[in-house]
Amino acid sequence: MNQLAEKYIKEIDLKIDFSRFGEIEKAENTFESMDKLILEDDEKSSLKAVGVNLFDDSEAGNFLMYGNYVYTSLSRFSGVEIFPLKKALLLYPDIKDKYYFKAIDKEQDEFTKTVFEKEQNGYFIRVKKNVMAKAPLHTALFMHKEMSTMCIHNIVVLEEGAHLHLVTGCTSGCTIKGGLHIAVSEYFIGKGAKLINTMIHNWGTDFIVRPRTAAIVEDNATFVSNYYSVKPPRHIQANPFTHLKGKNASAQYLTVLASFPNTFSDIGGTVLLDGENSGAELVARAVNHGGTVIQTGLLIGAAKGARAHVDCSGLMLSKDGIIEAIPGLKAMHPDARMSHEAAIGRIDMGELNYLQSKGLNEMQAIALIVRGFLDIGIEVEGLEPDLKKTIQQISELSGHGEE
Amino acid sequence: MLTISDLHVEVDGKEVLKGLDLTIPDHEVHALFGPNGSGKSVLISTIMGYPEYKITQGEIIFNGKNINQLSIDERVRQGIGASEQRPPTIKGVKLENLLELLVPGKMKEEAFKVEMVERFNMGKFLDRDINDGFSGGEIKKSELFLMLVTKPKFLILDEPDSGVDPEHLKKIGEMINETLSKNDKVKDYCDPVARNSGLIATHSASILTYVHTDKAHVMLDGRIRCNGNPAVMMEQIRSKGYSYCISCQQQIHKED
Repeated sequence: MNQLAEKYIKEIDLKIDFSRFGEIEKAENTFESMDKLILEDDEKSSLKAVGVNLFDDSEAGNFLMYGNYVYTSLSRFSGVEIFPLKKALLLYPDIKDKYYFKAIDKEQDEFTKTVFEKEQNGYFIRVKKNVMAKAPLHTALFMHKEMSTMCIHNIVVLEEGAHLHLVTGCTSGCTIKGGLHIAVSEYFIGKGAKLINTMIHNWGTDFIVRPRTAAIVEDNATFVSNYYSVKPPRHIQANPFTHLKGKNASAQYLTVLASFPNTFSDIGGTVLLDGENSGAELVARAVNHGGTVIQTGLLIGAAKGARAHVDCSGLMLSKDGIIEAIPGLKAMHPDARMSHEAAIGRIDMGELNYLQSKGLNEMQAIALIVRGFLDIGIEVEGLEPDLKKTIQQISELSGHGEE
Repeated sequence: MLTISDLHVEVDGKEVLKGLDLTIPDHEVHALFGPNGSGKSVLISTIMGYPEYKITQGEIIFNGKNINQLSIDERVRQGIGASEQRPPTIKGVKLENLLELLVPGKMKEEAFKVEMVERFNMGKFLDRDINDGFSGGEIKKSELFLMLVTKPKFLILDEPDSGVDPEHLKKIGEMINETLSKNDKVKDYCDPVARNSGLIATHSASILTYVHTDKAHVMLDGRIRCNGNPAVMMEQIRSKGYSYCISCQQQIHKED
């Protein structure tokens, strides 16, 4: 069998050997205030690279999981709450009935089950009815110990008419090579509310990452999920699920990732269009410098007037990479209107020649084409300038990476 | 400025230029006539160095230097600039992004922006994807605008008049003359000595109403078959068509 195919089969069903990583520490109900946080310079730059600024007072608030320790600011806007989940559960006992493992099934898989059984910490964010957070809220999940395990449970609640842009950076210190990151995130977006959730990943070469995400979107509410993978881990498998439960509910997933040799990124997205006239759009872009990328998007049209589109495109810049695009549609209602598109290819020689004929060198031309390819309209307002730089680096790197 | 001798070029293993000779001295602008499929665009792409056009014999000398082996951008740095007939659409890449790289810092200069928006009416194209949904005339305008900002010493224009309505043709002509002028002043275009040199490929020759050319060449089946005065040749082609050129060549061959 072709070596690449053999590797693919081995990796798609990778069994995680938990014993390779440190034990999951018991989550305590303790936390420090953000002003007690002391970070090394390299740790600060790792956080900056994923667009997180924990020290900006103009933001709605900040939260950091530093290994097992929680640092958090108080919310700076009235009507916006940020607490470690452990504390929130004590403060508001009703969270357990209303939100705790209510968007996601705790038995879904071994990772979700682990988070449930170990009763892990994370952030609890709630934006009260009709409160519009004018600035984004920055959070970070930071792994600072070699071969440790980070296990997180986050809950985000937007009450009716609330608005929030949540930026979460998941990363490791730049000297840390490996670890296991498991994160369960549950989002509840109330009637007429809007959540923009921007997630940025930047990992060491030997990390295993298992995000488990689910969102419930009510009437007239909007969920925008932006995902940037600046540097993929060794192996990531994620398939965030969104339930468009209410009338006119909508979801948009925008996914951008760069893949490198010896990495496996299976990043999908499933949206169940259950509410009348609900709509969804999934757009995924991957630039492959090696390694495997699987772009899966599944749209399930189950209501009258449901409309949805999925678009997966990959740019091959390597001889040894794999890109698999699987845009999927499932209609469960005669009125559902759904479409898909997928394209995988090398950089178009005509475009490359053209840009060079205007005076760009080959590297500049490739970088510009890749930048254009990755520009899928992710709202950059509220993102840190350093993140914009990091994103630009994905395309500049491509200029150097063409084989 | 440009001397091409005995140029043979293959595309996908098929010979399309079959021993082409062409000389364009400094300060001269030449017209290249020929029916569709005669090889005009192939010649232009070969001068620009597009890799799929393989030179099997002959040489291209630009400014005294053989440029056969130079990459596309190296040729541009030598001073060659081209405006394509059908440039590709580049999704996601705004014209503004390209300009930022071609003329770094310029986009921040207010005077440059004003000139671009007011004189050339380019404002509406800046935040659009390159060539995406542009009309025929808009494509030519955008191509020429890129020439204007980069100011090549030798200008190659591939069918600058195709798909352009008569109303816009005059504007296109003005932009060509301005690019050809050495010191940015439109009035200098009537002084041939002050001009940069260039090659304008056109099968309809309508652009020549607005742009002065010093000499014309007719290309048929991968070779330059005829050289002469642009106005006279244009007149012949307009009244008798390229079929006249073909029969004329057949006659010459018979006599040989």
